[in-house]
Amino acid sequence: MSNGSSRITDFIKKALFVDFIKGLAITLRYNVSRSITLRYPDQEKWVPYRRFRGQHTLNMDANGRELCVACELCAKACPTKCITVIPMEDDSGRGIADRVAKVWKVELTRCLFCGYCEDACPTRAVRLGRDYELACFDLSCATKNKEELLQPQSIPETINGGFVVKAKFVRSPEGIKVVPDLRMSKKRLL
Amino acid sequence: MLDTATLIEVIIIIVKAWLLTAIIFSLPMPLTWLERKVAGHIHVRLGPMRVGPHGILQPLADTLKLILKEDIVPDRADRFLFKLAPLIAMIPAFLVFVAIPFGENVTIPFVNREVSLYLSDLNVGILYVLAIGGLGIYGIIFGGWASNSKYALLGGLRSAAQMISYEIALSFACIGVVMMTDTLSLLEMVRAQAGGIHHWNVLYLPIGPVWFVIFIIAALAEMNRIPFDLPEDEGTLASGFHTEYSGMRFSYFMLAEYVAMVSVSVLTVIMFFGGWHPPLDGALFNFVPGIFWFMAKVVAFIYFFMWLRFTLPRYRYDQLMTIGWKILIPLSLVSVLITGLMKI
Repeated sequence: MSNGSSRITDFIKKALFVDFIKGLAITLRYNVSRSITLRYPDQEKWVPYRRFRGQHTLNMDANGRELCVACELCAKACPTKCITVIPMEDDSGRGIADRVAKVWKVELTRCLFCGYCEDACPTRAVRLGRDYELACFDLSCATKNKEELLQPQSIPETINGGFVVKAKFVRSPEGIKVVPDLRMSKKRLL
Repeated sequence: MLDTATLIEVIIIIVKAWLLTAIIFSLPMPLTWLERKVAGHIHVRLGPMRVGPHGILQPLADTLKLILKEDIVPDRADRFLFKLAPLIAMIPAFLVFVAIPFGENVTIPFVNREVSLYLSDLNVGILYVLAIGGLGIYGIIFGGWASNSKYALLGGLRSAAQMISYEIALSFACIGVVMMTDTLSLLEMVRAQAGGIHHWNVLYLPIGPVWFVIFIIAALAEMNRIPFDLPEDEGTLASGFHTEYSGMRFSYFMLAEYVAMVSVSVLTVIMFFGGWHPPLDGALFNFVPGIFWFMAKVVAFIYFFMWLRFTLPRYRYDQLMTIGWKILIPLSLVSVLITGLMKI
């Protein structure tokens, strides 16, 4: 501002609305650029990466035997003590060993999804899966027991994740669900 | 005394007035939608998407909501003025369109009758538009005064000060156009700009662009839009003069604001951008009806005002006054001189 020439350029810039035009160019560029809105839950849904830590799942081996041997290491490792494991003996071939879990339940209200149970598991039975819609109308769904956790999750392990797919919003008496269309006809990166 | 020809003439004028009013009344609906869409896309959002395809029915839902809302009149308000103010704000906004021409005469097919695309070609059209347009401020001042609320009152007062400051520059800009085209009639003004883009007033070098900038800035201030929406400055005044208004009365103010935006766009097109004349003088360009060119230009300006709204921050009050009194008015005085010298 001190010397004359910068004042003159400043005046010319003001008179020709240089800064205004720069600003307008920026907003125009944004106006024509693609929107980043994720239209969840109506039409689109985010499919997380495999590393995502959502609701727990209990895995089975290729023959359909439970991998969990009820060693209780997950319960020991859990910082919030939200996993309860009660072992029992079973040699009918339900599990991979003759020791299976009689009860394996997790309280999702206390779980902080740290993944220590995954790390502790010697048989890779417990995994944190990719289901993340955990809201419900009462506390009944906050505790997940073994039978529910053995069910396969909505996104199969083969899908890599990390994109947005078309989804359908389903409203039923049991609650609401967002069903992703995993054929991925219209997937896009976020 | 009343022969058939006069009767038909009167009927045509009444039909035209009704048609124009209906169109202008329904214009704010698509405009609110457009404004929200433009806002959304400039913010890299989508804007309204849920009511109808791409949210196109959103204005209907909004209207329904406004109609169903309780109509609150504050306890200590001046009831008469409070109810009168939205109407006073709205009616002048409509009245401006009486003098605005939308095109040359057209011949209606089958009936083979020539009809003019304006309600009246006032030979002092520009004066009429300025005078009536200036009346809308009363609605804002009355609304602010009658609400018995400090925010509303401050909004009204700011609005009054702003209008007084910028009305002068706006009138000077109109004088500039009058000097360039040698006429006060809006119809003649457009006719003077016929024959391609280099005949338009905005390219009446070197003074045309200056007049255009003065006019646009003053008009932005006149229609209370960002960056000059001091009367309804959310940050300091709740929402200014319409803080206490709700329901339909509030929507009248909004209606007035959008109609003002349309009329300013229309005036800009008529005064600076050649009205319904195509940008180039070729057979292909002349083939397209003039009303199309007119509408396209008006829509472009409406978009420009919305674009501006989501680009610029609001000016501070003293900056607003500085721009008005210290820059625009001296600049327009000098421009009058230069325009006069160019006309010698």
